[in-house]
Amino acid sequence: MIKIKIENLNVWFGEKHVLKDINLEILKYKVTAIIGPSGCGKTTLIRSMNKMHALIPNARVAGNISMDNFNIYGNNNKYKSVDPVLIRRKIGMVFQKPNPFPTMSVFDNVIAGLRLRGVRNRKKLEESVENYLKLTHLWDEVKDDLDKSGASLSGGQQQRLCIARAIAVEPEVILMDEPCSALDPIATGKIEELIYELKKDYTVVIVTHNMQQAARISDYACFMYLGELIEYGETTQIFENPRQELTEKYITGRFG
Amino acid sequence: MAKELHKEIYDLKGRVISMGQLSLEMLDKAMLALIKKDVKLASEVIEKKELIREYDSEIEAKAMRLIALYQPMAIDLRRLATILKLITYLARIGRYGKDIASVVEELSDNPYPAPFINLEHMWEHVKTMITNSLKSFEEANIKYIEDIGNIDDEIDEMRWSIFRECITHMMENPKNITSCAFLAMIARYLERCGDNACKIAEKVHYMVTGEHIEIT
Repeated sequence: MIKIKIENLNVWFGEKHVLKDINLEILKYKVTAIIGPSGCGKTTLIRSMNKMHALIPNARVAGNISMDNFNIYGNNNKYKSVDPVLIRRKIGMVFQKPNPFPTMSVFDNVIAGLRLRGVRNRKKLEESVENYLKLTHLWDEVKDDLDKSGASLSGGQQQRLCIARAIAVEPEVILMDEPCSALDPIATGKIEELIYELKKDYTVVIVTHNMQQAARISDYACFMYLGELIEYGETTQIFENPRQELTEKYITGRFG
Repeated sequence: MAKELHKEIYDLKGRVISMGQLSLEMLDKAMLALIKKDVKLASEVIEKKELIREYDSEIEAKAMRLIALYQPMAIDLRRLATILKLITYLARIGRYGKDIASVVEELSDNPYPAPFINLEHMWEHVKTMITNSLKSFEEANIKYIEDIGNIDDEIDEMRWSIFRECITHMMENPKNITSCAFLAMIARYLERCGDNACKIAEKVHYMVTGEHIEIT
């Protein structure tokens, strides 16, 4: 079942044409990995999905992205008409560097989104904190330090806190842009396990430079190069038997 | 680092080809020893068994090391996976050479009856299969193995024809029983070598195209 459908997506930053005619169907309850060399448009693609470019003055978008038939960029490309806040409630994001709100406690970080939505009931908030910290396997590690600053946790814990914060608003899709690149192998392993569990309830799109990681955790993978989508398919096929020569060259390190 | 991996895979491929040549040589010399009743040549073949075993463990260890160090993908992964399978098939072919050589020693005091022409003919076919499957591996080209299934069918038929021929000789003269039982066994060994050549062809097909096939 298709969760997000991208049709003829083109993105320009000023004169620079960074995404060229991208067509992609992201499937529901699957992990889709986006791979490709630096500057190929991976991050731009993932950010397009929740309108992260809306505030960049010279960014221009053409084409369509829809989620469950709801057009994220609005009709007739009047994309500014669709409220990005609404979209980001449904499409959460986790970034490369863990970015918990530094002045907030662990507790407040998890429920930051819920508070913005106006949830005030203390009991409900406490339940949410426990629930999402357990989901991200952070509860046992931080349950006695809930009032400490989010920034006091280790890098891997901070990233799991950010994931807890992202899923606390109950999005349908989680976008992850290199979520493990700043983490050590043990923290990486925990995040990978978490991603594997998350796909039961969420659709996950992940950008990664680590091809072994993409091979381990994703169901589908797409390879991008110079703003174009070169190949998209089941992960096992992409990594074992890619159809495009360019994909083959990239994943076997025969590039350039 | 990718360059290192590719160089190592290239070197390993060279080792596999050497191993293949040794297996083929063992089988070739064993058949020659059988035909010429050359016990000395047969014992040379038997001595090579250890060498085959060394190739097998050396190549396996190196391939495992490369997988652990580089976590290869796509063609690199398929090459290493193919190498790991090929060495098993090649070791078996070499061992059949050794088994045939052992028969030569057993049979040295017995007169052989007739079915040699057929065994020689069968051997030519098996040799073609092994040579072609190794060549397809070396050149990563499946054109050499397109016909291998047909040759294998012929070999299966030859094996049964030799078997029937051996039975006939045994019935004609009970003194032939020992030698003919051994000769029927050799036909079976050669047929198994042909099967192993087919398995090599299947894996090379996977290595080149990424698709699994079954040669029956």
